[in-house]
Amino acid sequence: MTTTTAPRRATHVVSPYRLTFARLVRGEWIKLSTLRSTWWSIGITAVLTIGIAVIVAGSLSSLPGFEPIQAVVSPIQFTMLLAGILGVISVTGEYSTGMIRSTFAAQPSRGAVLAAKAVVVGAVMLASSLIIFFVAALAVTPFFADADVPFAWDDPSQSTLPIVTASVSMAAFALIGVAFGFLLRSGAGAIAATVGLLFVLPIIGNIFAGAGEGWEWIADVLNHLPMSAAQSVILPQDDWGLPVGEGWLTIAAWVAAGLAGAWAVLRTRDA
Amino acid sequence: MITAEGLTKRFGDKTAVHDVSFTIRPGTVTGFLGPNGAGKSTTMRMIVGLDRPTSGRTTVNGQEYRRLRAPLTEVGVLLDAKAVHTGRTARSHLRAMAATHGIPSARVDEVIDLAGIGAVARKRAGKFSLGMGQRLGIASALLGDPHTLILDEPVNGLDPEGVRWVRQFVRFAASEGRTVLLSSHLMSEMAQTADHVIVMGRGRVLADAPLQDLVRSWTTTTVRVRSPRAADLAAAIAGADVEIVTTGPETIEISGLPAARIGDVAAAERIALHELTPTTGSLEDAYLALTGESVEYRSKEIS
Repeated sequence: MTTTTAPRRATHVVSPYRLTFARLVRGEWIKLSTLRSTWWSIGITAVLTIGIAVIVAGSLSSLPGFEPIQAVVSPIQFTMLLAGILGVISVTGEYSTGMIRSTFAAQPSRGAVLAAKAVVVGAVMLASSLIIFFVAALAVTPFFADADVPFAWDDPSQSTLPIVTASVSMAAFALIGVAFGFLLRSGAGAIAATVGLLFVLPIIGNIFAGAGEGWEWIADVLNHLPMSAAQSVILPQDDWGLPVGEGWLTIAAWVAAGLAGAWAVLRTRDA
Repeated sequence: MITAEGLTKRFGDKTAVHDVSFTIRPGTVTGFLGPNGAGKSTTMRMIVGLDRPTSGRTTVNGQEYRRLRAPLTEVGVLLDAKAVHTGRTARSHLRAMAATHGIPSARVDEVIDLAGIGAVARKRAGKFSLGMGQRLGIASALLGDPHTLILDEPVNGLDPEGVRWVRQFVRFAASEGRTVLLSSHLMSEMAQTADHVIVMGRGRVLADAPLQDLVRSWTTTTVRVRSPRAADLAAAIAGADVEIVTTGPETIEISGLPAARIGDVAAAERIALHELTPTTGSLEDAYLALTGESVEYRSKEIS
């Protein structure tokens, strides 16, 4: 390049508009919030969470030692799929429609796009899950009144803490979906991968884990899958799963590895 | 100003763009011509950083696109009308794009008016006709009031009013000193819009010249003559460099002689002329002459 002194246009004025990360996040928020599929996903998550929590509460409330919070967080085994799918389609919807080209034209730094999308999808999933689990807690409370078990709001470990932890886990599942979305680009492929990792692998693993001698390592691998790690931190049990610290590390590692992998392919791939 | 230097893009063992260099100057409309598969779109995608060149580089206003700090204010891009999420309304799409640069929603409404999509701005883009999608794409390109416009097939699918609007718009943008690069398959449209033309074929630049020069050097000027004594005239002007084609009982087409010379000869020979019309070739003729060998998907000649 010998000359970079481009003759500017006669009407040239320095544009007052600048690209910043905060603005990129705002753009991603507008994109996510103006799609019906987002609100459908969250709506179905709400219905499933509250519905399953109420059913569980109705059938198990009289079981001795069964805490109301267990009913509230138990639906996550199903709703985690919706979280993952929301994450996936927030990305693959852009690829299938071609929107991704507009996105990268506005912000050619793809790492920033990935980060902004992760922030928005994670925050939306976290916030909506907090509200949904809280409403579910209120919904199950009457079922335990008969058994004279109050909802233990005065004990964070049996109320707010599992709700916050479960909500963070939902955000993590959504981010795993985002990562698969960028890695695979196709909606079907990324949903299959997300469902496979979150839902199918634990089932397959469980079959082998019961196979006896020599298969114990499977149980260890199982404990480190995202869903098991989440269960270990939501309602920690002494005789099952990972220690809380290791559980959090495992969840963080899944999200970090997924997003790092997505960033690695995004950097060099043609859009 | 847009530059490309030794730009090359390979997809596997197929070379889509081969060692392409050019400079596109501000204040002009530069037309990008070439058959399907010539590498125009790939080149445009490399300019805006969507595709990574295998080698070479390309800059806008002296910087690589991915180094621009406010891309939307520097470059307006329309690569295809389908770069919009089908589930989002046109206005939401523009608001999301604008938000990334802190562009106020007043500007969003402005480009909606400019592009003439006010009536459908609250409809989801998936329900748009090709023409409306094209207008939405143009509206997005204009959001940041950019110095440079890169428009791939902007008139594709537009109605005649829309085609004229795009033509007038890009002419006006160039007159303001902006850089405009646009591609089109419509040769007549390009002839009316572009000042300068870059012709690509099989991934290479075949020509890079002002429109008039291109037409002049790739077409031959012929003179159509009608006379009751056409045969006599033909005999009178016959020469080594003169080509004469008889197109009717009283008409001949002559190439290799200027109209004035033919008229003089006719006067000297006392031959009455009923018509003496010089015709220059069109951009289309020049284009076909240039790309004749490099058309990848050739249609069968109709005889």
